[in-house]
Amino acid sequence: MDLIIGQILPYTAAVVFIGGVTWRIWRWMIPRIVHNITLSPWPASWSAAIVWILWQFATFWNLLKFDRPLWAGAWFMHIALFLMLGGHIAAFYTVGLQFHLMAPGIITPEMSLALSDWIGTVLGLIFLVALLYLLGRRLVNEQVRNISSASDFLHLFLLIGIAALGNIMRLFPDYHLGYAPVREYLAGLFLFNPQPLPDHTLFIMKYTLVMTLMIVFPFSKLMHSFGFFWERWIVNRPYKEPARGLPGARLQLRK
Amino acid sequence: MSEATGLRQPKKASADLFRKLGVEPVPDNEKVQEAIRHLDDFRFRVRSFVMAMESCVKCGACAEACHTYLGTRDPNNIPAGRVDLIRKAYKRYFTVQGQLFPGLVGAQDLDLETIEKWYSYFYQCSECRRCAHVCPFGIDTAEVTFIARQILYWLGIAPQLHAATAEAILRTGNHMGLTKAGIEDTLEFLAEEIEEDYDGLKVEFPVDKPNSDILYVPSSADFMLNPNTLKGAAMFFKYVGANWTISSEITEAGNFGYLSDQSRIQREMVTRLFREATKLGVKKIVWGECGHGWRAAKMYPPTVSDLPGVKRIPITHIHDEVEAYIKAGRLELDPKRNDRKVTLHDPCNYARACGHSDNMRVIMNAVVPKGAFVEMKPSREANFCCGGGSGILFDDPDMYQFRILASNKKAEQVRETGADTLCAPCSICKAQLYPMVKEHKLPVEVVGLIDLVGHALVFRD
Repeated sequence: MDLIIGQILPYTAAVVFIGGVTWRIWRWMIPRIVHNITLSPWPASWSAAIVWILWQFATFWNLLKFDRPLWAGAWFMHIALFLMLGGHIAAFYTVGLQFHLMAPGIITPEMSLALSDWIGTVLGLIFLVALLYLLGRRLVNEQVRNISSASDFLHLFLLIGIAALGNIMRLFPDYHLGYAPVREYLAGLFLFNPQPLPDHTLFIMKYTLVMTLMIVFPFSKLMHSFGFFWERWIVNRPYKEPARGLPGARLQLRK
Repeated sequence: MSEATGLRQPKKASADLFRKLGVEPVPDNEKVQEAIRHLDDFRFRVRSFVMAMESCVKCGACAEACHTYLGTRDPNNIPAGRVDLIRKAYKRYFTVQGQLFPGLVGAQDLDLETIEKWYSYFYQCSECRRCAHVCPFGIDTAEVTFIARQILYWLGIAPQLHAATAEAILRTGNHMGLTKAGIEDTLEFLAEEIEEDYDGLKVEFPVDKPNSDILYVPSSADFMLNPNTLKGAAMFFKYVGANWTISSEITEAGNFGYLSDQSRIQREMVTRLFREATKLGVKKIVWGECGHGWRAAKMYPPTVSDLPGVKRIPITHIHDEVEAYIKAGRLELDPKRNDRKVTLHDPCNYARACGHSDNMRVIMNAVVPKGAFVEMKPSREANFCCGGGSGILFDDPDMYQFRILASNKKAEQVRETGADTLCAPCSICKAQLYPMVKEHKLPVEVVGLIDLVGHALVFRD
């Protein structure tokens, strides 16, 4: 058990995830952008195009503009997800002292731990609620249900499972697991110095689900996180207009 | 409904017509294999196709954005659903997950029935790109429609309308099959009309005039359906004293090849265009009112043709030029002559593919009295298609019914403006809106934008 879930699966998941994502992007790079199919009004320059793409990325602008109910679920879910990913890395690496290390004179180690707890708790709840909302939408909204396949629901269940387990460990002291034992175990993985899995059922369950997600990721629509940039790079690009004016005409634009 | 398939399908072109176009129709028992082979080929060549196949998360934001879905409420007309007709096969044959767990990820073997569905639904898509405009990723369903229609064409499946038009293009260089004699005849008649209507104003319509500076490319439909657009353009050229001509070899602003066979017919049009422009020695090509054709002429030539003229002869739209003259204060216009309440339908290809939202408004505000121009909601790049985009102007009863359904949204928009004039500066829009206005009982006249310009120009000689 410890060997399979604690030692073999993590490396497998990492290889499949990194290798799979690289392979998918590699394949996207083979076909060419044949014609300029930019959407007008187009950006004035490449830098304006990049700013627009990043703006779309950060705000989910199109959803905000055209489908506000979807935006409310999708944007909060993704923002919470991104912040929590960053939070997990920072908190496990610094054992919850990340805020103290950022501003040592102002924030004490105790305050940092409390902040980490609070922010994590709030984001975790937002994440779970947003996911349930999106699941509900997919079930209730006939148009969306019509175009969904089983995998669309399974991805949501997987994320809901991870979110729910995380929230239980966070909210119920009986199931809590501190940063230190996890850090010790993960450090072992990164340094190829195997350490036993923390003896904590919920943690092992959540950890297995996360690794499953990593393995599924390159073979699923979850690749949209990268696909976003590849698609927008095609449809949001500058175009240079030819000069105006009719050569040879009696009446010219300038007298 | 088609009796054979139970699907809404336009009348198919015959095998004989396809042979004339140089395509041997593929027998039914080989169609599936052949289609898969083409899909396999496209996924290594066209990135916009691959990204459309692989980036969709099925969020459904596109559903309410599509006028076809709004008109029919058929889930296969939700842009994501329509693309799924191909994506299911794409997943099945070209992805790991689709090969291992087809049922789970919504992958499906391709069969003849599905190919018939392609024919039905990819000819209900008007390639208007409103879904691309709304999609959080910018996935462009029109890119998939292009490829679906191309594959169908290679299999020997296309609407009679599109194939017959392709044949007319090869024969005459225009959609309507106009001959040089016919073209000159109509233009002579139009010149007389102008003389009568505008106090003896003498306007020439030069055809195939060597050593011209400007080649004007009108839509061939203007010769039959929208003569005022031709007149307006000629009056503008007369006003600025341009040395211009129309070519009888390419009297076509549209490009039906772009809509069904990009591999050959679209190229044929571009080749003809630059052959004629070079022959006549023109310094600039100016395009007439046509949406899809303008996109094909503005955005595509550099990448569909390597003829040297493509890089040397600039192409602009007549709206671009009129706008520039208005901005330079070089045109005397009398807006009172167009004293009517007018609204503007932004043709999809102008607004979402060619960046014309502004220039149409500059012109409109200069040619109608202050306050006479009312915007539709939504407008500009968020505007809805007329329902006929990409040439789905079918006349068979079933498809005609569909066209009226697909224009429900447009009718609603027009009605809300309370306008008496609907300006739609695109030949396909006009051809769609003439019947649409009638069927939806809208009290509006459909006109082009250059029509209004010509009417407002003040000649002082």
